[in-house]
Amino acid sequence: MSFLVVAPVVVAIAGVVLAFLVSRWPRVQRATSAATGAVYAGTVATAVWRLVLGPDAPGAAAYQLGGHPAPFGITLVLDGLSAFMLVVAAVVGLASITFSVVFVERDNQRVYYHPLFHCLLLGVTGAFLTGDLFNLFVWFEVMLMASYVFVAFYGGARHTAAAVRYLVLNVVGSALMLLGIGGLYAVTGTLNMADMARRLADPAASGIDPAPVVGLSALLLVVFALKAGLVPFQFWVPAAYTTAPLPVTAMLAGVTKKVGVYAIVRLYFTVLAGAAIPVDVLGVAGDSPLSFLAPVLAAMGVASIVVGGLGAVSRDTLEGTFAYSSVGQVGFIVVPVAIAAASTGQLRQIALVAALVYALHHSLAKSLLFLSAAAVSDATGTNRVRDVGGLAGRSPVLAGAFFVGILSLVGLPPLAGFFGKFFVFDVSIRWYATAPGWAPLAVFLSLLAGALLTIVYTTRTWTGCFWGAETPAVEGSVVDGRQLAVLVALAAVVVAVGVGFDPVYRFAETAATAATERGDYVEVVFPDGGGAA
Amino acid sequence: MKTTARIAVPIILVLAVSLFFQGHNLPGGGFIGGVLTTTAFVLVYVAYGLDYLEAGVLDREVDPGTGIFEHRSVTAYRRTFVLGLTIVVGSGLAGLLLGGSFLAQDYVILHDVPIYHEVELASALVFDLGVYLVVVGGLLTILSVVGAE
Repeated sequence: MSFLVVAPVVVAIAGVVLAFLVSRWPRVQRATSAATGAVYAGTVATAVWRLVLGPDAPGAAAYQLGGHPAPFGITLVLDGLSAFMLVVAAVVGLASITFSVVFVERDNQRVYYHPLFHCLLLGVTGAFLTGDLFNLFVWFEVMLMASYVFVAFYGGARHTAAAVRYLVLNVVGSALMLLGIGGLYAVTGTLNMADMARRLADPAASGIDPAPVVGLSALLLVVFALKAGLVPFQFWVPAAYTTAPLPVTAMLAGVTKKVGVYAIVRLYFTVLAGAAIPVDVLGVAGDSPLSFLAPVLAAMGVASIVVGGLGAVSRDTLEGTFAYSSVGQVGFIVVPVAIAAASTGQLRQIALVAALVYALHHSLAKSLLFLSAAAVSDATGTNRVRDVGGLAGRSPVLAGAFFVGILSLVGLPPLAGFFGKFFVFDVSIRWYATAPGWAPLAVFLSLLAGALLTIVYTTRTWTGCFWGAETPAVEGSVVDGRQLAVLVALAAVVVAVGVGFDPVYRFAETAATAATERGDYVEVVFPDGGGAA
Repeated sequence: MKTTARIAVPIILVLAVSLFFQGHNLPGGGFIGGVLTTTAFVLVYVAYGLDYLEAGVLDREVDPGTGIFEHRSVTAYRRTFVLGLTIVVGSGLAGLLLGGSFLAQDYVILHDVPIYHEVELASALVFDLGVYLVVVGGLLTILSVVGAE
C-alpha cells in the first residue's frame, strides 16, 4: 500500500515517456496525454483517500526509494499537507491538459508540448512529495526546465526576452538554493527533512550548533519567495505569465507558485520550528527561526498585495491583469502564514488553515480565469480589454464561468473564495486581538486595501469584456464548445468547494496539523525511532 | 585536426565505456560516460563536418535539401533519447514488479568466467544504460541542431 506514495510520481513520469513514444501520431498523443492527466488525478485521489483521509487510513506514509533506509536514501512522504497540495495540482493539471488539447494549435502541440507538460506535473508532484532537501532542489529543477521551454514556447522576440529573464533569475535562485541546502547539510549533517527536524529539536544529542540555520534558511526563503512570485521578487511574473501558452499559465499560477508557498511552510513549520535559536529581526526578538520568518514574510506579503493590486488595475489585457492579480493573491496566502509564524497554539493552526484554503481557492479561481482568457482570445483573436466587449450576449456560458471566477476572487459566498477571504480576515483580526500593535493593524488595513483593489480590477475586466455593445472583434466570434465544457467543469468545482465546504475545511485542518506536528512527521519517516540519530 | 580526432576518438570512446561499466560502485556512470561519448562525436563533427557520420561512416546518401530536424542522424539521436528514457522508467518499475520497491537494485557475481574470472552483474547497469542513452541522445540532438545554424 505504501507504493501509493510513489504512484503519482510514476504516473507523471510514465506520462512523459508515453507522450514521447506516441509523438509520431498526433491524435494518439493528444488522447494519451489527456488520458494520463486523468489517470494522474485518479492516482492522487486513490493515494490521498487510502493513506490520508479514508476511514482506516494511517494519516501519513513514507516511501524509501530503492529500499534504502532513511536518512541514507531518498524518502518520499505523503502526509496531510502534501496530500492537500497534490489534490490541488491534480485538479488544475487535469483541467489544464484537457484544455490544452482543444486550445493549443495542432502543430504547436507536436513540438514537445505534451512531454513537457507532464514533465512540469512531474516536477510539481516530486516537490510536494519529497522528504529530502536536496531532492526538493532536483524537483525544482525538473519543474523549471519545463517552464523555461514553455515561457519561450511561441519563439517570438517578446517570448525569448521573457524566457531569458526567467532563466537567469531562476539560475541565480537555484545557485542560492544549493548554497542554502549545502550550508544546512554542513550544519546539521543530514539532508533528510525528518532527520534534520529531529536533530535541530535536540542539537546537543547530535552534537551540532544550530545557530547558522536562521541565516541559511533566509537564503532558501529568498528562493521560495522567488518561485512564489512575492514582492520584491515578483518582476518575472507578468512577462512569463503573458508569454507562456495560457493553459500552461493556468498551471504556473495555479500550481507551481504554490510549490514556493508549500516549501516555505514545510521548511519552517515542519523542519526548523523545533530549533531554539535566539533571533532578532526588525526589532522583533524571538527564540526560533519562525520569529525570523514572521516579520519578513508579513512585509513581503503586504508589499505583494499592494503591488499586485495596483499593477492589476492598470493593465490593459486580461492575462496581464490576472498575472498581477496572482502577485497580489499570493500575498493573501503568505500573510496568514506569517501570522501563523508569529503566533502559537490554536491561532497558528487556524492561520495555516486560512493560508491553505486561500491557496486552494486561488489555484482553482485563477486557473479558471486564465483558461477563460484563453477561450476569449481563441474566439475573438485579442485579449485587450478595450477591444473586447459584449461577450455576455455572445456566449452566456463563457460569461457565466468567468463570472464565477471573478466572484470567487472577490470573495462572495457561497464560492470557494468567500471562505478564503473570510478566514484570512478572521485570522488577521484575531492576531490584532492577541497582540495589539501597529504591525497587525497595518497588515489588516493592507488586506482591506487589497480586497478593494481586487473588486476594482475584476469589475473592470467584467464590464469591459462582457457588458456593453459588441465590438467588431466579438461580432461573429464563436466560442469552442469543448473549451466551454472544461471551463464549466472547473467553475462547478469552485462552486462545489464553497457549497460543500465542510469536508474541504477538515482536509485543510488535517493539512495544517500535518505541517506543525513535527513528531508525527519524524515518526512516519523513522517508524522504529531511527536509532542512528 | 583530423589527425588528432583519429587518435583521440577511439581513446575517448574506450574511456567512456569503461567509466560507464564501473559506474554503479566506483566514480563514473551513465551520465559521465554519455558526456564523454558525446565529446567523441563532437570531435568527429568538428573535424569532418555534420554529414560525415552518414556519408563517410554509414555510406548513406545525405539529402542536403532537408532541414536539420529531418536530418537522419538527428532523428536517430531523438529516438535514442526516448529509448533511454523508456529504459530508465522501465528499470525503475522492474524493481517494483520483482517485489522490491521503485528503483530497487540488485546484483549477481558470476564466477569462473573465462579471462575475467569474476564478473559482477548489477541491475543498476540497466538504469545506467538508460541514463547513458538519454545523455547521448539529448546532447547530440542539441549539439547538431545548434551546430547546424
